[in-house]
Amino acid sequence: MRLPIVSLTFALPAVAVVLCASGCAADPAGPARTAERFHAELSAHREESACALLARVTAEQLPDPGQSCADALRELRLDAGGPIRAVSVWGEDAQVRMAGDTLFLHRYADGWRVRAAGCAPVPGRPYDCDVEG
Amino acid sequence: MRWLKDNALSLAFLVMFVLALAGQAVAGTLEFNDRQVAGGGEPVSVPHFVASSDFAVDVAENWQSEYLQFFLFIMLTVWLVQRGSPESKQPGEEGGESDERQRVGPHATAASPAWARHARGPRLWLFSNSLGLAMGAVFLLSWLAQSVAGQAAHNAERLQDLRDPVTWGSYVTSAEFWNRSLQNWQSELLAVLSMVVLSIYLRQRGSPESKPVGAPHSATSTEG
Repeated sequence: MRLPIVSLTFALPAVAVVLCASGCAADPAGPARTAERFHAELSAHREESACALLARVTAEQLPDPGQSCADALRELRLDAGGPIRAVSVWGEDAQVRMAGDTLFLHRYADGWRVRAAGCAPVPGRPYDCDVEG
Repeated sequence: MRWLKDNALSLAFLVMFVLALAGQAVAGTLEFNDRQVAGGGEPVSVPHFVASSDFAVDVAENWQSEYLQFFLFIMLTVWLVQRGSPESKQPGEEGGESDERQRVGPHATAASPAWARHARGPRLWLFSNSLGLAMGAVFLLSWLAQSVAGQAAHNAERLQDLRDPVTWGSYVTSAEFWNRSLQNWQSELLAVLSMVVLSIYLRQRGSPESKPVGAPHSATSTEG
């Protein structure tokens, strides 16, 4: 039995690092704040400001040709968000469940942005979202 | 210089391990960034990627399978033999063997480790099984790390796909977790099988993993 054995001196701390790295739950406050602000802007009919909270790819894909992002959001008339029920953060992505909406967000260099909103669950499939990038 | 020569095998593997891990970190970052940019995200730095669940799950899933391989090899060769293999004991020697043969207690020599000479009961059992226990423990820790990191990476992917995240319990019973585990296990088990069987008939001159070139195929437990 002469197979080489990797030194446990290096293996054990590395396992701890792996556990730590993967178990580090991100702060749920960031995506929660962005989701609340997004719905607050919509409630106050400040669609331009709400558009600024969308991920760039979402804001680009939302409007029809010749339409602005704000116009598209105004037309959609999303239900009010209401109080936050739950926040899940995994890596750079998050899901915020509000009483009246479910949003998906992504963390960019300048902060959390809304990738999808106005989302309804579809059993066994991805959420069906009114706003989606 | 003498110290380097005496520890050359461990040092060579340590250097190769560090280089391979660094290479994995760089290549993994490039691949991750490719996917990020394609999905409308932003590229990340190597340290950022190394701290991510994507890197952790890839590292842990390979570690757990390697340590499982060594754990099984160490434990199964106590009880199972392969006639003709230098990796096996002689047929008839299966089991934990006598204290005399294992040089334990009154049969220990002056050069034996202290726990082999003086320890009794649980301490002696612990030292007598410390190699298998260490390999088994690192396997379990790595597998646990794979499950935790895997859940995090899997959930990040699910959120990107606009799907609900899953619990740890759901993840460790998912096809994704078992696919990751089993695809590594099958390759490790095949590698050990190859080593045990090929070493009956093939030789590597000068290697302690091989029988001497002129040793008969039927010779078991003879190292070159």
